Parts: sequence; structure tokens; C-alpha cells
Amino acid sequence: MGGGSVASLILAIACVFQAFFPPVASGDAATLESVPDLVKAMYINVESFPCVRLLNHSGQIGCSNPGHDKIIAPIVRLRNRNDQLVQPSAVLLPLDQMTDFFLRVSNDPELYRKIAGVLVEANGADSVLEFSPDRKFPQQAFAPYSNLSHHWNPAGSGIMWNKYDFPVFLLSEESTQTLQKLADKNEKTPNGYLANVAEFDLVMQTTKAGTHDSESCLREQSCLPLGGQSVWTSLPPISNSSKKHQKPIIMVTASQDSGSFFRDRSLGADSPISGLIALLTAVDALSHLHDMSNLKKQLVFAVFNGEAWGYLGSRKFLQELDQGADSVNGISSLLIDQVLEIGSVGKAVSQGYPLFYAHAAGNSPISKKMIDVLQSASESLGSDNVQVKPAASSNPGVPPSSLMSFIGKNASTSGLVLEDFDSQFSNRFYHSTLDGPANINSSSIAAAAALIARSLYILASADLPIDLITLNSIRVNVSMVEELIECLLKCDPGLSCGIVKSFISPSNSCPSHYVGVFQDLPAGTQFPSYADDISRFIWNFLADRTSSLASNSSSCTGQCRDEGEICVGAEVEGGGRCVVSTTRYVPAYSTRLKFEDNIWHVLPVNSSDPLSAADPVWTESFWNTIGLRVYAVQTTAYDWLVLLIGIIITGASYLAVIVGRSYISKIIKRD
Amino acid sequence: MTVAAGLGYALIALGPALSIFAGVVARKPFLVLTLLTSTLFWLISLIILSGIWRVFLPITSGAWWPYVILILTSVAFQEGIRLVFWRLYKKMEEMLDSFADRISKPRLCLTDKMLISLAGGLGHGVAHAVFFCLSLLTPAFGRATFYVERCSRMPFFLISAVIALGFLVIHTFSMIVAFNGYDERKRSDQVFAPVVHLIASVMTLMNLAPDGCVIGTPLLCVMSAVTLQYCWRMVWQRLSEHQHRQFNS
Repeated sequence: MGGGSVASLILAIACVFQAFFPPVASGDAATLESVPDLVKAMYINVESFPCVRLLNHSGQIGCSNPGHDKIIAPIVRLRNRNDQLVQPSAVLLPLDQMTDFFLRVSNDPELYRKIAGVLVEANGADSVLEFSPDRKFPQQAFAPYSNLSHHWNPAGSGIMWNKYDFPVFLLSEESTQTLQKLADKNEKTPNGYLANVAEFDLVMQTTKAGTHDSESCLREQSCLPLGGQSVWTSLPPISNSSKKHQKPIIMVTASQDSGSFFRDRSLGADSPISGLIALLTAVDALSHLHDMSNLKKQLVFAVFNGEAWGYLGSRKFLQELDQGADSVNGISSLLIDQVLEIGSVGKAVSQGYPLFYAHAAGNSPISKKMIDVLQSASESLGSDNVQVKPAASSNPGVPPSSLMSFIGKNASTSGLVLEDFDSQFSNRFYHSTLDGPANINSSSIAAAAALIARSLYILASADLPIDLITLNSIRVNVSMVEELIECLLKCDPGLSCGIVKSFISPSNSCPSHYVGVFQDLPAGTQFPSYADDISRFIWNFLADRTSSLASNSSSCTGQCRDEGEICVGAEVEGGGRCVVSTTRYVPAYSTRLKFEDNIWHVLPVNSSDPLSAADPVWTESFWNTIGLRVYAVQTTAYDWLVLLIGIIITGASYLAVIVGRSYISKIIKRD
Repeated sequence: MTVAAGLGYALIALGPALSIFAGVVARKPFLVLTLLTSTLFWLISLIILSGIWRVFLPITSGAWWPYVILILTSVAFQEGIRLVFWRLYKKMEEMLDSFADRISKPRLCLTDKMLISLAGGLGHGVAHAVFFCLSLLTPAFGRATFYVERCSRMPFFLISAVIALGFLVIHTFSMIVAFNGYDERKRSDQVFAPVVHLIASVMTLMNLAPDGCVIGTPLLCVMSAVTLQYCWRMVWQRLSEHQHRQFNS
């Protein structure tokens, strides 16, 4: 015992002297210097990532404590597939067993009853070859074709779309070690007088309120709809004069959000952040051209948010276009000529050279022309040997992508999705926690960005003769690709990296690409208060790259004086600067939601919008706190035994006192 | 561990103190005052000690000899305080005796003096138990228990309570022996209290060794039993002699 008496002596001395001297911080973690230190040593807070309760229009998915209270259960390790549980326990699970375990749980009510909670270890990722909790055809209800049996995601198990009435947490690297040690200790003391337990606090408001679908929980205000801010920009900026002679628009889109079993661990490196990085890099490459306004077509770049949860960003964008909202002032859906979407482009390098696939929407001649343009752009890249092929005709259509929203709106949309796969995802970790920077290749992304930048120049020139010198001068900044990977996909440096900090002051260093809940003004605002770090970075980056010099570059922190000017880098110390650019925020939330009288209402299915029937209307439950603690617990028999011993000692000493007193009075009475 | 266990640990540490208080001290208000005064004395001695030792704490080196120095100086200081306490008691005894003479009531008899020393010792013991055990006991009322790495057989709170109990007995009864020693000028009694205090304190160092608490804690209980037995024998002898003298005179 670390000097039970000695530690107590130090404790007493420190305690007594708190009032007289300022406390000195101790660097040694093993010494306890106060009762709060003791409590901290007794109850260990475990660093972990929860899986939370999400609701849609017909039910719920995700994880939650089954009632209002915390769940306390002993930690048990499940090593083999067929291990059985004896009592309700907290199961410690290696990552490679996760898919099998959750599939087993959904089919085995006996096992389901004995699970109090699940803890998923963080290591063991090297032995996992493929892991995807999403379905084999993600978001298939939005597909514009009828062959829904094609498996775009063959590694998919679908476990993230099931409902679990127990808490599930993903552990970090260090907490995995701690919990493995505790589980081993539990195994060594089988007689059960001492057990290491895990205490799960994952009480969801929707469970407490008894609301089990989106409509009722929005009414009871126990949840909020998923959503965020999408960003679009125009290159070159749309000025008042160009509004009179509007050019046809080429839309270039990418997505910025991913999903995962655990909400705070949605990295999505290949799907879709590789596409986002390629888009940003292409914009950067094109921004060096001088005469964009002489081109025949207008380039509009859009980064949609919430695509993983029912294509919220793209569908809301199209709705805003139809309604002629302020957020899309300057463009009109009638002008959209072609759509080029950048999908997953991080794994295209095979046999040393990047190979991309263009999935065209339909067989229109415009789509075919787009593929030809891509191929001529790839030829112009020469020795870089970037190749583009049209996707296999055996595919039923476009893969799951924002293009599905465009096609759903207008079946004759001409467009294509650029991907790094042909018939099946090459990403074996789609929408899982393992889709990290190790899963992608920066040269693949750089190649995609170069391909797209040059193709866009050719497409925007339309029937004008192509100036080959200009075309060959379009070069991609490869170090920017690597820097963006470090910023958007790692915790160190994460969002504290140079390029991000030059535009925004991030709230968190670790980036997360989960869309989160929508808290801004539903009508849309150009100064959103709840836009997440990534959206704000994209807005500032695109505004900076598409800007032309402002007339008066003074420091600004909000609005700029002239119309058509926006303030870039407003959050940075020293303020930002006003530039002329057309970069706007567009809200991204379900088109079936309407905010009225301070409550969200779910609108009935709109027959004129074929995709509204497919929209699940995702919402996320509120919660009070989420936490995970582990500590050691004794059996109740032991507690009562201690109380009994205390009573016996008190009683025996009282007896001894009485006996002693009578003896002594006998001696005195001899007098 | 819940309320039952927390209460159990509190009773293990302070149960005998409660019994002695209820059975002996509470009957005479003067003894209650003595108890409170001696508690205060002990606390003040602790404050002064911490003032001196604050500069050197926390002891970050893993060696055990700094703790030996800490214990030696603390025990020496507290034994010094005991002597001061004795002097104050002597002065007070003179005042009480002269007051009794003035109002022609009997002076303090031997049992009174022994009861006062008992209350004094109990004050020391209660202060030790409250400070070193009760102040740590709040987490024991919660759900979790705590086992220190170096003592994995017994829970931390149990060891703490047993040590507090041991020292309570030692402080209470060695005070009676010490006061008797100062009164009768008996060397063996005078030396008994510091020696027992020192041996018991140094024995707690055994808890620093891995699983040393299994040996250290029972040994401490042995020391308190020895103190109790010595004190009982001394009291019996003294009271019997006193009666004989009174009888013979």
C-alpha cells in the first residue's frame, strides 16, 4: 500500500495547509494528494466514442441505454465467435469481431438479453481486410434505376442501420490497454467477490420521452434534424454585368460528410474527403488562370453537406434553386448544362498509374462528350499517365452519389461521377472508422485534381479553340494535397495546421466529418452561427481562391461595405479582408422538414418530388451527458460484513468499558 | 461500496472511541473539555509539523528513508507536545486543588487524574482517526472500492480504518501510562509512550513494501494490544497500592 499511513500523512499535511500555502502540482501520477485525487483514481474515466440514437420517419437506429439510468456491468472479453455469456455483461470486443458480433446479436435474442453494453477495441485493425457497417447498396432508395440488387459495397454488413437497446462505445488506443487489463483481472478472480465494472452513461432523450420516430420526437423537441451548411462558389465571380448575359453553368460537386457506426469517428478519407480535396485543389489550380471570364461557360463549384444521410445538401440546393432563394442568387437551374461530380478518388493508383472511371448519367451525347473531354485532358497530362475509362456498361447506372439527386429532379441531366472504382467500391472500409489517411494515396488525389482542372477548362471553353499553352499551364499543387490530407484527416496537426488557421479559428483540432444537427436559421443565412469548422474552412478557401482583388482591402470582421464583397478570414486574429467573390452558404437539411412556430414539422411526401418518398428524414436524439467509467466493485455480502464487524467492535468495546469500570470501582470500594 | 460499508469502516475506526466517550467521558463535563483541548493540541502540533515539512513535500523519490526522517521528526515533536500538555495539566491541577481547598471540597483523587489522562489520550486518538481515516472515507460511501497496488489483498479503506483503530488505542492508553510516569517519576513508564509511538509509526513503513500491509497491520494490532495490557496492569497496580496506603494510613 503506497504507505496507507504515509499517503494519509502527506494528505493530512497537504489538506491542512491548503489554506495557508498555494498547492504545488505533483508530477507523479501515483501519489494521491487529496480526496478528489483518490476519487479520480477509484473511478477511471475512459476515453471513448459513443454510438448514438438516430431516428427516421419509421423507426430508430443506433444505440442507447434502455432506460433513464446508467448501466453497470462487469467487463468480459469475447474472444471466439461462439463464446457464451453467463450474466448481463459489458462485452469487450476486438475490432475484427465487430461485424460478426453485431450480426449475431440481431439474430440471437438469448445473447441480446445478456448484453449490458459493448466496448469495441481500437487495435487489431491490421488484421481487418474489409469492414463496412453500411449496406451493400448504400442509399439505394434514391437510385434512379430499378436494378437494386447490384452490390456497390460488397464489404457492407448493414450493422449501423440496426437498432440496439444497449450502449456501444469505441475505445481509444490507451483505453483499450486499460480495459484489456481489467477484463483479464476479472477472469483471474472467478469467485466474484471483486469485479471490475464498466458504467455506461448513454441515456438518450428520445428514450426518456418515449418518442420513437422523427415526427413525434421533433414535436416533443427531444431531437433535432440532421443538417449543416453546404458551400457553393463561382469561378469567376458573378458580377452584376454578368447577371444580364448569363452563361450556361457547369456544376462541379463534391461531398464533405461521411457516416459511421460511431458519430465522432467519421473520417471518410476515401469516401468522400478525397473528392473534396481534389475539388479544392482543382479550384486552386484554375484560380491561376487569368481569362476565365472569356470562356463560354460558367464554372460553379459546390460542396454539399449531409449527403450520407439522404443527400440532404444536394436536394436542398436543388429546392432552393427552384424557389429562387437568396442563397443561390445568380444561378438558375435552367442554366445548369452539365454536372461533374468528384466521388472517391483516393485509391485510383493501380500498377503504378492512376486509373479513374467515369460513371455517366444516362446515354446522352453530352455525357459522352464529357467522357471524351476527360480523356483528352488525361492525354494532355502526358507523362503523368493518368487514365480515364468509362464505367462498365454492366453497371445498372451511377453509383451512390449526389448525382442521384440531380437525376431524380430531372431525368435528362447530363453528368458524370468520377470515381476510382468500376463496378464495386475499391474502398473496403466504406463508412467505417478505418477509412483513414492510410486508406488513400495523395498522388491519386493529385492526379484526379489535375484531370478535373484541365477537363473543366476544356468543357468551359465549349466550341472555342483550346489554347494549349494555357491548358498545359494548369498545374496542381501536390504539396497542397498532402497538406490538406494532414489537416482534414489527422488529429495532429489536424485543424490547427497552417492553411486552416489562416482562414478560421477551429473549435477542435481533430476533424470530424459527421454532419451533426441543424441549428441555424432554416431560411438560410450568409453568417451562420453553427457552421462547423470544415464548412467554414471550405467557404473561406473557395472565397479566397475565386476572388479578384477588392477595390479597398481593409480589415473586416463581418460584413463588407460593397455589395458583392465578402470578408475572408474574419475569425482570424487581426480580422480578414474584403474580396470580390461569389461564395455562399446554402442550408442543408431534409426537404421534407419545415420550421414553423419554433418547431420542426415533417411534411407529407411530395408527389412532385420523386425523391421525397425515399427520404428517411433523419434526426438525432438529445442527450444530457455521455460518459464511460470503469471501477472495481465488491459484492454486497462483503459490505454487510464490514458493517457487522464495525458494530461488533463498537459493541465489544462498550462491553469492555463497562466491565473495566466495574472492576475499577470494585478496587476503589475496598476502601 | 455503498453506505453500509462506509458506515462499517467509520465504526471500525471510531467505534471504541464512541464507546469510551459514552461510557466514561460523557459523564463528567470536565473530561469532555479535556478531550477537546487535547484534540486541539494534537491538531496544532500537526499544523506546525506540516508548516515545517511543506517545503520538502511531496516526496517524489521512491526511496523509503525520507519517510523515516519524516516519522522520526513528527514523533519527536508530538512527544514534546505531550510534555507541554503535561505541564499545562499540572498547572491546571494546582489551580483546581487550591480552588477545592478554598471551597472545602475534596481534591482530585487518583482515579480523577487517571480519567483526565484517559480523556487526553482519547483526544489525541480521535484527532488521529478523524484526520487520517474519516477524512478519506467519503468515497467509501459510493459504489466503487479501491485497492492500492502494493496491497492487493485488502481494500484501502479497511487498512485505513484498522490503522486508525490501532493508533487510537495506542494514543489513548499510552497517555495514561505517560502521565503516570511523569507523576511518579518512573523511568519505565515515562519512556514507554514515546517508544511505543515510535515503533508503531515506523511499523507502518512496512506498508510501503509490496503486500507488506498483510504483515504490518496485524503487527500494529499487536502493538495496541501490548499497550492496552501494559496500561491495564499499571493502573491495577497503582490503584491497589493506593488503596493499601489509604487503608494503612
